[in-house]
Amino acid sequence: MSDAASPPEAKSSPEPRSGSEAKPALTRRAFFKGAGVVAAGGVIGEAVHASNARAFGPAMLEGQVEVELEINGAKQKVTVEPRTTLLNALRNHCNPPLTGTKLVCDRGSCGACTVHLDGKPVYSCMTLAVDAVGHKVKTIEGLAPQGQLTVLQQKFCDHDGSQCGFCTPGFVMAITACLERNPAASLDEIQNACSGNLCRCGTQPQIFEAALAAGRALQSKGGK
Amino acid sequence: MALEPLKFQDEKPPRPAAPGKKWIRVTKAVNGIDTEVWEEVSDDAGGPQWGPRDQMRLVSRAIPRVDGPDKVSGRAMYSSDMRLPGMVYARVLRSRVPCGTVKLDLEAAKAIPGVLAVIALNNGNIDWLGRPIAAVAATTPELAEDGLRAIVATYEEQPFAVTPEQSAAENAPKVNSRGNVRTLSKNTDSSEVDAALGKAAKRVQGTWKIPVQHHASLETHGVVVDYRGGAEATIYASTQGTFTIPGDAAGRLGLQGGQVTAVVEHMGGGFGSKFGMGIEGDAACQLAKELGRPVHLMLDRATEFHAAGNRSGGEHTLEAGLDDKGQIVAIKGRVTRHGGVGQGSGHPIPYIYGRDAKVFVEDRCIHTHTDSSRAMRGPGHPQASFSMEALMDECAYASGLDLLEIRRINLADNRRELYMRQLERCAALIGWDKHPFKNAPDLSKSELKVGIGFAIARWGGGGNGQCKVEVRIAQDGSVEVLSGTQDLGTGTRTYCASIVAEELGLELGAVRPRIGRSTFGSANASGGSTTSPSLSPSVKHAAHNARLALFEKVAPLLGVKPDELAVGLGEIHVAAKPSQKIAWKDACAALGPAGLSAQGEWQAHLASSDVGGAQAAKVQVDTLTGEIKVLDMVAVQNCGLLLNRMAVKSQLQGGMVQALSYGLFEERVLDPDLGLFLNANFEDYKIAGVREIPRMQVEFEDDPRGVIGMAEAAVIPGHSAIANAVRNACGVRVFDMPVTADKVLVGLEALRKKG
Repeated sequence: MSDAASPPEAKSSPEPRSGSEAKPALTRRAFFKGAGVVAAGGVIGEAVHASNARAFGPAMLEGQVEVELEINGAKQKVTVEPRTTLLNALRNHCNPPLTGTKLVCDRGSCGACTVHLDGKPVYSCMTLAVDAVGHKVKTIEGLAPQGQLTVLQQKFCDHDGSQCGFCTPGFVMAITACLERNPAASLDEIQNACSGNLCRCGTQPQIFEAALAAGRALQSKGGK
Repeated sequence: MALEPLKFQDEKPPRPAAPGKKWIRVTKAVNGIDTEVWEEVSDDAGGPQWGPRDQMRLVSRAIPRVDGPDKVSGRAMYSSDMRLPGMVYARVLRSRVPCGTVKLDLEAAKAIPGVLAVIALNNGNIDWLGRPIAAVAATTPELAEDGLRAIVATYEEQPFAVTPEQSAAENAPKVNSRGNVRTLSKNTDSSEVDAALGKAAKRVQGTWKIPVQHHASLETHGVVVDYRGGAEATIYASTQGTFTIPGDAAGRLGLQGGQVTAVVEHMGGGFGSKFGMGIEGDAACQLAKELGRPVHLMLDRATEFHAAGNRSGGEHTLEAGLDDKGQIVAIKGRVTRHGGVGQGSGHPIPYIYGRDAKVFVEDRCIHTHTDSSRAMRGPGHPQASFSMEALMDECAYASGLDLLEIRRINLADNRRELYMRQLERCAALIGWDKHPFKNAPDLSKSELKVGIGFAIARWGGGGNGQCKVEVRIAQDGSVEVLSGTQDLGTGTRTYCASIVAEELGLELGAVRPRIGRSTFGSANASGGSTTSPSLSPSVKHAAHNARLALFEKVAPLLGVKPDELAVGLGEIHVAAKPSQKIAWKDACAALGPAGLSAQGEWQAHLASSDVGGAQAAKVQVDTLTGEIKVLDMVAVQNCGLLLNRMAVKSQLQGGMVQALSYGLFEERVLDPDLGLFLNANFEDYKIAGVREIPRMQVEFEDDPRGVIGMAEAAVIPGHSAIANAVRNACGVRVFDMPVTADKVLVGLEALRKKG
């Protein structure tokens, strides 16, 4: 229920797990140490090859790391810093750049950067790129790869769910996840799903209309 | 710069019109500030006509915007999305202190690998909090931020005044060489008004406080400067004025204006704050010039709050004297604007009401060591509306009059019919008839009180002759409409296409709109609701000329004269004999390889000006917690020919949401002792979210006039209606926005003590 409203915590700082098999992700302390090294001395170490974030263990990361991200079904190697957010990795490091995901607040308070991590909506500005390794990332570009809009995207167009459009990708991703869980979502559930998303143009009434219309269409189609 | 107050239509033109000419009101946006002037134009109403609205296919209908699919799929390219070969990312460092001087040591920053350029942005003098003082370009935004952190800034702090109270205090640090508190109005003689107040049957007064609001555009201010040395540059700008960019950028880059192209494919909100290059644009040009590489510089969110403009706050002390029938006979006021180092837009008091009243208003501004205010959607009007509509309601309660009746009595004769029609329609939509507490609050034991409030707006929204539009028809039948104008999310791109498609008998998708590029025809900046009344007549004219030019080519094929032809859907036929026709593609094949190009200019008779609207709000106040929930907002608006009913409805509702947000949540908070901006982020500077959106209902009046802009009118009255609804619900008049639960509780306690 609330995973949409406050997405990324579970992913960016996982609960410690018991047992010897627990493979801790990059720790907050290590992250800061890594970032600090760069800031203080500008020591860019040799690129650390890491195909799996779990493989980092609790070790300190510094300099630049090459990670393999699975984005919209395709694997892609990008070289980032340990502190690089998934948002900045998508926008600035991917080839071609995936700029549909928007940077607005850069601190988890507006929802414009919402992407799906293993099907769940997360704020990509609050998720480190290195923590996305081993997970399936889906961005707004991945919803309609061949240009065929999803039902929700089409309803956004039909009901004028965009004005300036800068918040639109985030809303679409948040509501997509909601409708994937429950195409029969009520207005209340839809509002809950995008309660972490800001729109400055005041387009929310049309967004609600679009979401409800999409839900109805998905139900009559029996799912997707 | 002095702001011209909105000149109303009932003011006369400067002299009688010359033979064959007529006077029209023209709205000109100067840095986004709506300034209205009279212009003498040809009285010839020939040329293109919008035609009967019931016969329109696309214009005046509800059509989905053509760039919707791009926006919902992430394909729409905003300036901040530009990624160019060799591009570097830049950030600016803002001053930590409001007033003083700073010395910068840039060496440590320059030494960071990946940091490519570090520059100082001014001579070290700081006169407002957050003023950008340095900029860094690096290979990634993260490294640019490292660069900012490595800059050693040594401040020599001077005493500052960041709040109006500090600035107006005795021996306050000087903010403006002409004085911290400046009286802008010239009239100092209030004796006539004082006398009228003395004779009034009733007097009503109050002091209203209005916070500084931020535009809070989701895309921050910034540019991508594509300059790699040489004689040409392209600036991708998040701007409301494509043509406000090239001249300034050329100056910074040492080029000629014609060597710089501005591109604005899509932009993520401006609301009056995005005209010209700004400090951030200048910095990006300087860095690009130094590096010979493209520079991407978008402000971060905190800097956007500090240094990218705001809506002036203010304080209005008003007193109205009423006669025994409820007519206001005198208004005396002191209006103070809080525009930072700037002056603030004028707050036009008395706002709309006060016919025949004797008026004395002292207009002042108080300067502070904070960023200058800028135009923001309906500059000055929402502020004026807030105190004036509250004053009207207080007059009603003092006189025992209905909230609509007090307005009827005090509207000017030539405005009464319009506004009362709209107010009564709003009343019907929101259930005023059935509301039991019309001029006294609900005194029952119930903790949840429901109240209704009303407010009205007016704006010019006229056009001007700055737009040049081209329509091209190619030999293969494809059609393009070209204009340098920008689409702020209002649907500009869509009506460019729909007007042309309508005129040429084509489907919407058959016309490709190309806008947002300074190499296309000139266009005005989008300020003061002037875009659609300026642009749409020019588009219509170009389409009209294209059709006539095509008829010239096609007429011989059908063996008739050009003026015997008409368009049908996808064809051209003989008007008197529709079966004698030629398909669109075949007609265009006759054009030859060069195709056809037609130009369009502004047609005054296709536009008009002066919009009016009324809004009402219904709120529920929890008297236990003070919580305010807006249940309903309704609006009735006129605005001439509606170019696209879907987009204009969105824009009106959007204005209402922004007004709700202004009235209930938004406020810049500064620490007067430390000189800090305390809420420069979206957690602490709250804007309305999805949970705050009420049920909304909007109606447009059938308005036979030409196209008028209505974006500003939409945002003017909503917060006033909400504040009035809170008063109507629980008896508490909250005098200072935002209207919050704590203020309601304080007011309830005061009412209880009063008994």
